[in-house]
Amino acid sequence: MTKSFLKKLITFATLIITVFAISGCGTKTEPVSENKPVKIVFWYAVGGKVGEATKTLVDEFNSSHPDIQVEAVFQGDYDSAINKLKQSIPSKGTPNVMQVYDIGTRFMIDSKAVIPVQKWIDQEKFDMSTYEPNILAYYTVDNKLYSMPFNTSTPILYYNKTMFKEAGLDPENSPKTFEDVTAAAQKLTNRDANGTVTRPGLSVAIYGWFFEQFLAEQNAPYTNNGNGRDSLTTAVSFNSPQGEKTLAWWSGMVKDGTASNMGRKTADTLKAFIAGQTAMTIDSTGNLGDIMDGVNGKFDVGTGFMPHPADAKDGGVIIGGASLWMLAGHSDPEEKASWEFIKFMTAAKQQAFWHIKTGYFPVTKAAYDDPDLKKYEEKYPQFKVAIEQLHNTPINRNTQGGLLGVFTQSRQEIESAIEQVLNGQSTPRDALQKASDTVNGAIERYNQTTK
Amino acid sequence: MFIPPQKKSLWPLVQGLSYLAPSLLLFICFVFYPLLKSIQLSLFNTDLIGQETIYIGFQRYIDMFSSLQFLHSLWATVLFTIYTVLPGMLIALGLAYIANWQLRGIAVFQTIFAFPLSIAVAGASMIFMMLFNPTAGVFAYFLQIFHLPAISWLADPNWALISVSLVAIWRGLGFNIIIFLGGLQSIPKHLYESAGMDGASPWRQFIDITLPLLSPTSFFVFIVSIINSMQTFGEINILTQGGPSESTNVIVYSIYREGFFNLNYSYASAESIILFFIILLLTLFEFWLLERKVFYR
Repeated sequence: MTKSFLKKLITFATLIITVFAISGCGTKTEPVSENKPVKIVFWYAVGGKVGEATKTLVDEFNSSHPDIQVEAVFQGDYDSAINKLKQSIPSKGTPNVMQVYDIGTRFMIDSKAVIPVQKWIDQEKFDMSTYEPNILAYYTVDNKLYSMPFNTSTPILYYNKTMFKEAGLDPENSPKTFEDVTAAAQKLTNRDANGTVTRPGLSVAIYGWFFEQFLAEQNAPYTNNGNGRDSLTTAVSFNSPQGEKTLAWWSGMVKDGTASNMGRKTADTLKAFIAGQTAMTIDSTGNLGDIMDGVNGKFDVGTGFMPHPADAKDGGVIIGGASLWMLAGHSDPEEKASWEFIKFMTAAKQQAFWHIKTGYFPVTKAAYDDPDLKKYEEKYPQFKVAIEQLHNTPINRNTQGGLLGVFTQSRQEIESAIEQVLNGQSTPRDALQKASDTVNGAIERYNQTTK
Repeated sequence: MFIPPQKKSLWPLVQGLSYLAPSLLLFICFVFYPLLKSIQLSLFNTDLIGQETIYIGFQRYIDMFSSLQFLHSLWATVLFTIYTVLPGMLIALGLAYIANWQLRGIAVFQTIFAFPLSIAVAGASMIFMMLFNPTAGVFAYFLQIFHLPAISWLADPNWALISVSLVAIWRGLGFNIIIFLGGLQSIPKHLYESAGMDGASPWRQFIDITLPLLSPTSFFVFIVSIINSMQTFGEINILTQGGPSESTNVIVYSIYREGFFNLNYSYASAESIILFFIILLLTLFEFWLLERKVFYR
């Protein structure tokens, strides 16, 4: 049975290959005419309702710009998209514009396959004054804006106001410090007669991004050389007292049961929060809509700033999300068309629509004047906290965020370290030291390959 | 290769090769060429996008065997194989044995048993992810009903590999049952009839007729299961990403991480070459060991 099936499969595959080979020969012979719209390719990496919103914006652009035709291609998640880009560089098949996640910034610069958008900003004397300075700061390297911020978010603390009331806490006052969170979680944790925890006060997913935020909240760097922004990163610096403090606080709460460890998936902590199985959680601002829809009035949702240790000063949040990159090696008309497209995607009207549909921040302040956005803000006053948190963040090397070519690996190592500490297999110091050794080895190798 | 002693025309060879050409072409494109390319890649340093730069000999292989992480991955792979292969085979054999009974409507059950085969790994993993959910999952609900302590299926390093194995066993059941069922149905009925006349109990019949006559099938399933479990990737990628604390970081997943995330193409290639040899040697060993124990009619 298997054999004949295999035979059929092979015959079928051969047929398909032949058909492709034959049909492939015929295309690409269209003559280039002056009146035809300039075609550009845009790779994006967000699915679900965010992907839908992206497609809507692209369609809008195409219908309002008859001289440009944007072909939007979904390339899977951020990681898959950047892997496809790697394969497309040697074969010169890169897209014109691509959405790349925050931590891919150093890799994109080192790939030498990009054009900084600064080139077009300077050329057109494009007015950037309405764009959020905190967001621009992340994507500015060596005083050049490399990519245009597009979808931006930060984490915030979500809490269940109804449970706060029941526990005798002030529901209008979110816990601001690590110490506040610990104290609140103790009151919010429910136990049964045997002392087993039935509802923890806090659940935070093991997500490297949160750890990066806790460092920035304490004004501590993630890597050396000014977070890799004064000169190229040669080693990480997260194995610091601030890093240890974060893990000691977090694991202490997991140990006494006031916080629960639900693994790496934010989807799981989000679900627990919506189901009322935890009183507080930390998640991206981008999930506010999902949380509000999920809770649907069962309880009051409160939002607060990311917590920090009581003695920490001058810290803040690092923005996350993704930006739009221009790839090099395309014709001048195509590059011009790409720039038009990027400007359109980040303009006030589009960003207001984007914010309402997805929960990401508008990257330009001009979007806040949009009447639809004002209505949205009235509906979800919780979002104001996120914007305040962003504007309260001082811009410095530590809140700009680390630049690291091997950031994906580093995040993975950090998550592994957090797991070891939360599971009691290692101390904060040892786990961070081990992660730092591994990542430093990877940095050394990376810096050799980019030389 | 066998070459006939007398000089004959090349025609038969050409004819034979032309029949094989489509499959040879596919094998060369998708198996032999990538294999040779991986060997080459494992001996070179690469740039950021994976192009070879400097020849470094066997340095990556030395790195690999001196790193704790690789040995850890190897161990996780061995454990995963132990957790999945034999339990998967035994459950499949049991279900196939039941599905082989001549009962009214048994075809419905045969279809249900073969069902996991038709679900893609991503779909199955997403379903299990919901079942494993620590607070709102079905498994958590059942544990609660029976007043058992809650288990963090995917977040506890002691449970994660077992949880992933559960998914892999379930996914493998469909294929195994179909093969076992085929094997069971090819056993001649008269053997059971005469054994029954001699007064052999069903258990005796199972041990002395079914098992020996099923041995070629079992042998096949065993080898395929081992190869499959050493190459399992989808479940791990979706459910645990190698975590927690590296407890599910099997070799295939480690190759994926090193190659596609850590920009460590030559290391990933070296790992895949080693995995290739491990599976090759294991398969040869199984043939050597089991060929003599297997009863072929």
